[in-house]
Amino acid sequence: MPSLLAAMLLLAACGNGEDTATGNGDIPDGPTIEIRGQDFSEAITLAEVYAQYLESLGYPVDIQTPAGFRVEAISDLEAGTLNMIVDYIGGSQAQLAPDSEPSSDPDEVMEVIRDAYADIDATVLDYTPAVDGDAFVVRGDLEAETISDVADMGLVLGASAQCFERPQCFIGFTEVYGIEFADTQTIEFGPILGEALAAEEVDAVVWNDTAPQIEEFGFKVLEDDLGIFPAQNIAPILANELIEAYGDDLVDAINELSAMITTDDLLAWNFETDIEFRESDDVAREWLEEQGLL
Amino acid sequence: MSLVLGQRAIPRDTTLWEWFTDPVTWTGSGGILVSLGDTVALCAAVIVASAILAVPVSAYLAHRRLAQVTSAWLVNIGRALPTFAVAALLVPISLRGGYGFEPWPIFIALTLLTVPPMFLSTYVAVKEVDEAAVNAARAMGFTERAVLLSVELPLASTVIFTGLRVAAVQVVATEPIRAFLGGDGLGRYIRDGIGQNNATLTVGGTFLIAALAGLTGITLTAIERLAKPYGVRRLRADRSSRPGETDEVDVTDVAEPAGSHAAAGRLR
Repeated sequence: MPSLLAAMLLLAACGNGEDTATGNGDIPDGPTIEIRGQDFSEAITLAEVYAQYLESLGYPVDIQTPAGFRVEAISDLEAGTLNMIVDYIGGSQAQLAPDSEPSSDPDEVMEVIRDAYADIDATVLDYTPAVDGDAFVVRGDLEAETISDVADMGLVLGASAQCFERPQCFIGFTEVYGIEFADTQTIEFGPILGEALAAEEVDAVVWNDTAPQIEEFGFKVLEDDLGIFPAQNIAPILANELIEAYGDDLVDAINELSAMITTDDLLAWNFETDIEFRESDDVAREWLEEQGLL
Repeated sequence: MSLVLGQRAIPRDTTLWEWFTDPVTWTGSGGILVSLGDTVALCAAVIVASAILAVPVSAYLAHRRLAQVTSAWLVNIGRALPTFAVAALLVPISLRGGYGFEPWPIFIALTLLTVPPMFLSTYVAVKEVDEAAVNAARAMGFTERAVLLSVELPLASTVIFTGLRVAAVQVVATEPIRAFLGGDGLGRYIRDGIGQNNATLTVGGTFLIAALAGLTGITLTAIERLAKPYGVRRLRADRSSRPGETDEVDVTDVAEPAGSHAAAGRLR
């Protein structure tokens, strides 16, 4: 079924390409764009969005079956089995330059990872306005808007084991924000965080911005007013061979798309894939159609 | 600060020796002593509950020779249940019902783990009691109730207790999964070690759990020796001089490899 769909898309893309060829100028010959989503629903949808968009513009695209996470994506980009990946910039920084200073300013993060990706012959394009970063999540009725507001509330914090050793997480809460938690509880990362918060087992959890359950349960995300969470905007990363073959047209087209993807879009996609259990490629295609890109 | 860290995280370059010798590791709300207490309390509760659930029913059914196929079938199904999955499925239900992360989900899952081997060992033990002894009791006018309580159960007690010991070791070795389901106990060190990529915590926690499981086995063996009814002790002493009397060993052999295999599969 996916291959049939891909074939249909390819046909549609070809037709589309012929129609618009007169307007946009021809796409030069070049290597097939090999793209693959990291193996969780948000990343799979993201890869589909970029791939289907580029296909519709007439570029040759191969969407590989989603597999692996950041480590595999970056090593396959380096090895050449992929020539386009999509990643969270703060995550890329932690992976490629673990000793560099994390930052909540996306431009600072970009500066670090631009050099790091240049070392493996790849270029980071513009990041999206969409962010899927860590989020300090509380129940909707808590009287607080920022993380600073909860410093003296004596909350019980639930977070994954990783959080408790990180300056961008628990150590930041206690040392930068000066929060005194009444208690802490280690909870595996995932939907169970939401269940624990709803059941009032804990008063706050460290989750990610785009978990669709946040809205489902009526939780709210507190603002990281002192900026300890690293910036986690999303950026496409291209092997330089693609840019050499297709030039600025490709770069501009991708940047145009990236600029349109917002955090609300991520939330909506994750709701479709994780709560409604729909397929990522359908969700991606519908979004592109809504934006008038298909 | 080091106290706070001592509860949920330690520096990655801490050696095992430093970790074990730091007093913070042992005391406080996240210390080994509290965690050990949590683990022992839960395991003890599970063993007692399983014994209450499994032994009387199983002994009665074995005495009446009832439900042999059904109970074998139920025991096998019970052994096939993945403990972690059962507990993980129960956690959201418990949370939504207002019962919290603990203790019900992990308690129920571990009890489901231990009831089958206890049931099986009791059933086999009672069923295999020397028929001559049972018939002699009946001939002397024992009621069926007295046959079960005064003849079959005392003679079967050694094997029943062996089943209990096997189950107890299995529970201690499996209980650490609770740390991955919103609980703590000794499994917390393994969980934190894996999550924080800190081998000291993982290895230290594994060592503690292995030590506790070993100690449980040794302690229960000692209790088993002491608690054996006087008549049975004398009976065994007499028998040990005669080769070929090995009905106790038979059952242990059946129960132990199957149990340990299942535990290994579950933890993986």
